[in-house]
Amino acid sequence: MKFLVNPSKFNELADYIFKPVLILSILLFALGLLFSFYLSPDDYQQGSTVRIMYVHVPSAWLALLTYAIMTLYSIAALAFRIPFGFIFNTAVAPIGAVFTLICVISGSLWGKPMWGTWWVWDARLTSVAILFIIYLIIIFMNLSIENRNVREKVVAIFILVGSVNLPIVKFSVDWWNTLHQPATISKLSKPSIDPSMMTPLIIMTLAFISIGLSIAILRIKTEIISRKSNLG
Amino acid sequence: MIILNKIISFYYREYKLNLSGFQDILTNIIFFFVSIFIFIFSIGPDKEKISTLSIGIVWTLLLLSSTLSLRKFYQDDFENGSLLIMHLNGFSFGFIAILKTFSHFLFVQVPFLLSIPIACIILNIANDKIIYLVASFAVGSLTLSCLGSISSSMNLMNQRNFLLGSVIVMIFSIPIIIFSVSIINIEESFNSLISILFGILLIVFAINPWASGLCLKLSIENN
Amino acid sequence: MILVKDLSIERSNKKIFENINLAVGSGKIILLKGKNGSGKTTLLKAMLNLIEPSAGAIYWKGKLLKKNLYNFFNNVTYIADKTSSLGKLSVQENINIWKRIFLSNISDSQIENILSTLKLDTYLFQKVNSLSFGEIKKLEFLRLILENKKIWILDEPLSNLDSESIEVLGQTFEDHRSKEGSIIFSSHQKSEINVSEEILL
Repeated sequence: MKFLVNPSKFNELADYIFKPVLILSILLFALGLLFSFYLSPDDYQQGSTVRIMYVHVPSAWLALLTYAIMTLYSIAALAFRIPFGFIFNTAVAPIGAVFTLICVISGSLWGKPMWGTWWVWDARLTSVAILFIIYLIIIFMNLSIENRNVREKVVAIFILVGSVNLPIVKFSVDWWNTLHQPATISKLSKPSIDPSMMTPLIIMTLAFISIGLSIAILRIKTEIISRKSNLG
Repeated sequence: MIILNKIISFYYREYKLNLSGFQDILTNIIFFFVSIFIFIFSIGPDKEKISTLSIGIVWTLLLLSSTLSLRKFYQDDFENGSLLIMHLNGFSFGFIAILKTFSHFLFVQVPFLLSIPIACIILNIANDKIIYLVASFAVGSLTLSCLGSISSSMNLMNQRNFLLGSVIVMIFSIPIIIFSVSIINIEESFNSLISILFGILLIVFAINPWASGLCLKLSIENN
Repeated sequence: MILVKDLSIERSNKKIFENINLAVGSGKIILLKGKNGSGKTTLLKAMLNLIEPSAGAIYWKGKLLKKNLYNFFNNVTYIADKTSSLGKLSVQENINIWKRIFLSNISDSQIENILSTLKLDTYLFQKVNSLSFGEIKKLEFLRLILENKKIWILDEPLSNLDSESIEVLGQTFEDHRSKEGSIIFSSHQKSEINVSEEILL
């Protein structure tokens, strides 16, 4: 498991798995899109628009997951002095931002036919929008503080402080009465989703994970190289 | 006793500094009132509309105008090396952050606290609600000072993009706004809501010396 | 009193200096010499525990500096190349603030004496912003006397000073040395100040 904290070990592993993961993500996307457009049923209430879910839900999960991992890496980097955490944070923040943006856009595209409006000010939507802004602030901080020693630690502190938003995003549907539906898939209870819709959802989630992973590998490798050669 | 003397002299210094720059604080308050006027002009002088919006207006503008003074929070002391002198004089960076937060509260937020009743009279807010508003701002403004300390210490080394500090404060002050505006609208649950505000204050107050202290240390190390 | 042992400092993968050994005893004046960017300021900052060394350690009275930090700070005056006086306030207000902050028990007549030797007494009620850079720097040296501590650490004290003020400063250093105090300062130019040790970085 040393590749999780050691840049050179990570580089070694990344050389092996980058191409397979990239190919896997293309295959999974092809399969997932096929499933979600043709091989899954319409919802009896929502009709064909339910297919937006296959993009919306995986991107939302990954937006949260990315931030959660960034939080863990920030703790590791600050408390246990693991510089790979800083590398990870700088490299992965834009990926998380893109996932959040996909989630917000697909969500409002879904909201227009279902709720009759692009945007409502309920807790879930607002907290995800705030998550997006937090991602943007992380990126801007990375761009605007010139001294690298200061920048990486300050960003890590900001990520830790900003992680209070994470439980708010996750539990907003349970804590407040919102228009957004509560989670249908959770570990504790049997999922309230039909297996025929579950299959494309899982495939799309895997596809999102693998495309995210391959971009992350590329970005982390570039970050390692730019650090070695002191390019800022 | 020595440490107490040092704390008193710290506040003496802050008092002297703020006294010489008192017009800055007054300008902040003028900004607050002028933006209230602008708000009224933009929604029209309809009494009913104003009374539904007034609490929100007051809180939004208080937040905006108190973020204006963030630049002064650490930047001046950092640039002329006073921060380092304080540290060498026996204060840890976290403790400096706490002292500075209280000084910001005293010299920047308390004048706002005094000007809220006037703003309330202009906006036709009922007299009994003014007390709630002042109470919620008294708790909320200390939270804002803590947030300001965190964000401005993060941005000490950021020469390019100072607005980022204000954005950080505003993002984290959303819960304060939510709870303090609902204090006034739902009067029966005043106690529970002010307890939530106090809870937020305590959390932020606990994070503040850690986060700002670390950022101050980093900036001084790498300056 | 201060012992620097095998100190090396790296910043962003670049070595600044390696294996510096240095002992600051009482009654000593140490001069750090070197070109721009040779790490004089970095070494002084490391001695104040503001920069984490990559190897080596610094000891204060036989204990690690880090574990004894605030005791050390009670014995040291640091004058950076930046001036810490508040530009918006007058010279006298600045002196009052310093006197309170450092809990100094120097009498007013003594301060007046120093100000007149530094030729600052005519500016007493002027704002610091209106003084020239050399004068602000001289005002900063007042802190050496006000703080009344054993160890003086000065970063580039001689730059921007005229020869007359350098002479006064040398006299002050001599006085401090005779009182068993110790001084460490950096400079890139030649000076007439008597030093007991020179270290080339």
